[in-house]
Amino acid sequence: MPKAVKCILLFAAVIPVAVASHAAEIVKLKPMVSLYADAKGEGLKTPEGIGCDDKSRLVVADTGNGRLLEYTYNGETWTPGPAINLPQLPYPIRVQLNTRGEIYALDGKLRKIARLGPKGNFQRYVEGSGASAPHVPRSFKIDTSDNILILDILTENVLVLEPSGKVIKEIPFPKEYGFISDLAVDAVGNVFLVDSVKKVVYSAPENSKEFSLLTEKLEEDLDFPVSITTDDSGRIYLVDQNGGGIVILGRDGSYQGRQLKMGWKEGFLRYPSQICINKKGEVFIADRENSRIQVFSIAK
Amino acid sequence: MNSRSGTALFLVVIISVIVVSVASSQDKFKLKPGAKGKICLNCHPAFAETLKRRFVHTPVKAGDCSDCHNPHTSSHGKLLAEDPNKICFSCHDGIVPDGAKSAHIVAEEGNCVKCHDPHASNNKFNLTVSGNDLCFECHKSLAESVSGNKFKHSPVEKGCLSCHSPHASSEAVALLKTGVSSLCTKCHKTDRKTFARNHGNYPVAKTVCTSCHNPHGSSVAGILWDNVHPPLAKQMCNQCHLPSSSPDALKTKRVGYELCRGCHNDMVNDTFRKDRIHWPLVDKTACLHCHSPHASKEAGLLKEPIIIVCGACHADTIERQEKSLTKHEPITEGNCTECHSPHSSDQNFLFDSKNVIDLCGNCHDWQRHSSHPIGEKIKDKRNENLSLGCVSCHRSHGTEFKHFMHYSEKSDVCVQCHIEQKR
Repeated sequence: MPKAVKCILLFAAVIPVAVASHAAEIVKLKPMVSLYADAKGEGLKTPEGIGCDDKSRLVVADTGNGRLLEYTYNGETWTPGPAINLPQLPYPIRVQLNTRGEIYALDGKLRKIARLGPKGNFQRYVEGSGASAPHVPRSFKIDTSDNILILDILTENVLVLEPSGKVIKEIPFPKEYGFISDLAVDAVGNVFLVDSVKKVVYSAPENSKEFSLLTEKLEEDLDFPVSITTDDSGRIYLVDQNGGGIVILGRDGSYQGRQLKMGWKEGFLRYPSQICINKKGEVFIADRENSRIQVFSIAK
Repeated sequence: MNSRSGTALFLVVIISVIVVSVASSQDKFKLKPGAKGKICLNCHPAFAETLKRRFVHTPVKAGDCSDCHNPHTSSHGKLLAEDPNKICFSCHDGIVPDGAKSAHIVAEEGNCVKCHDPHASNNKFNLTVSGNDLCFECHKSLAESVSGNKFKHSPVEKGCLSCHSPHASSEAVALLKTGVSSLCTKCHKTDRKTFARNHGNYPVAKTVCTSCHNPHGSSVAGILWDNVHPPLAKQMCNQCHLPSSSPDALKTKRVGYELCRGCHNDMVNDTFRKDRIHWPLVDKTACLHCHSPHASKEAGLLKEPIIIVCGACHADTIERQEKSLTKHEPITEGNCTECHSPHSSDQNFLFDSKNVIDLCGNCHDWQRHSSHPIGEKIKDKRNENLSLGCVSCHRSHGTEFKHFMHYSEKSDVCVQCHIEQKR
């Protein structure tokens, strides 16, 4: 084969791969629907927390109304279920679901994580048996094995609990952090922390005993990040509360763009507070000061 | 070639290089022989008086005016040969060393003439004013407090440079020559019985002395800061710390807010009764994020003026006001607590009032004038879950537009809801 033809074939093979890999990095959030009310038509009030699963089940911390609300998707619409009002959970601010459909919610007033059955019945508070000291959970996440990871700001550790509540690991916060507001755990067990004050992300690879810096200061890109999560591809999503946007990072911490802006209309955010992404690529955002939940799809 | 002749050759080469370079600098403007410096005085005769001062800048003394000035044209004022903020560094490089722990902003910015006369002065180092008076030209509030102090700190009287480096410090913050404790213990002997007795026999020799003492003097005995935490004033250190005889004497008896709760129980209970806590209050550092445990120049034992304390974490919010075309007075005055309750609140943003309209109404008497309908019963057309209020159109910490508006034109704000009017 002549040399020139070989070169052309090589280019033809390489360029589409390069273009495709670059294109795969560009992620956009496409507005799907916004949820405003419960089954009786009563409006949400400053919802701060949101938990989702891969079966299109959604549990919202309707914080201003002091309750949880469940929504299910029937393929066309999101239908609200009955409200979950519990004296043990007067001010829910963060929600997570485990693989068994159980609901976990952090109460901002009591600073306790309540464990509820799949139908919303209170079971107990997650205490963390075997922890070296009392703890104050600022946030928490549940991994694919239903372990509970608690961001304990009192002892400055991430506590990893078995589903039974037994502490199996404590990972200390990084040195000289500012204020850590949230954590995330990806499908392979890497743990991430978001520092609202220093505007950085720390990571601890699976089985690691310490956190290290994943990003440089994202000073230009973030005002005050408060929530972090990952998608199925390992991308990292940061909720910029004061800036009204979502910043997307690669799994290596590389900046991949900023999505959404501050505003009132659908597709805009005002002081968003928690994000949840399921395996279907549905993105749920608690749009706190707009008193609604917004659902987006990931478009590449 | 033997070593002696080699050395001689080396010296010849070096001397030739120096002679050539000096000659070339003198020849830069091809001045007449002997004209160097003197020729400038022909037109600037008053400068002859300046040259009589005790300390003359070396190039001026040598008549090398063209070292700093271009006699023909320049892009900078005073025909300076370079940017006035950079020109000094061409000879005085390293004034602010790399990796300095603190630097004087005027030195960092190359604003050397703020303190030094570039030509001549009667003060050493060509300083424009001698002694502390030079520093007090900018540090006015410090000057006032120092002059009013009942108890003086002698190093301050001797001069600011007793403790501070004028340009930068590689060792410590605040331009201190070394760390606080090592600086203080140069004069204050920590092994003396009086020292131990005055500090309740606690091992404070290596602690940060300025946590309790005002290094610039004070009107409170022991040159403590003006506002002293009562247990410290009564020398009851063991109210918070382990006994002085303990191996960990400086360790506190409890962690976080639980320590403060011992005395401030009602305040802590009141704080926890509210729905929303200011989260740093319940972490390991707790109250000490904002308050000094021993003594402070600020009321309420705040570590710094409140806007600096809040801005340490909420820099984005403070910056927004700085960028804003219209300024919000409480923020300009640094009075964050005018609207926010710093410990806890039942409202988002830790607002001090349940109703944002009432909160704004504390200062803005819109109620007395006609206004766009606002209030809980007036629904926001953009979102049925929201009612119209002040923040529907304004952002209280400012925007890049006038009057804290979210949009550049008033009409853009109106057509958000009045879509039918949009053209």
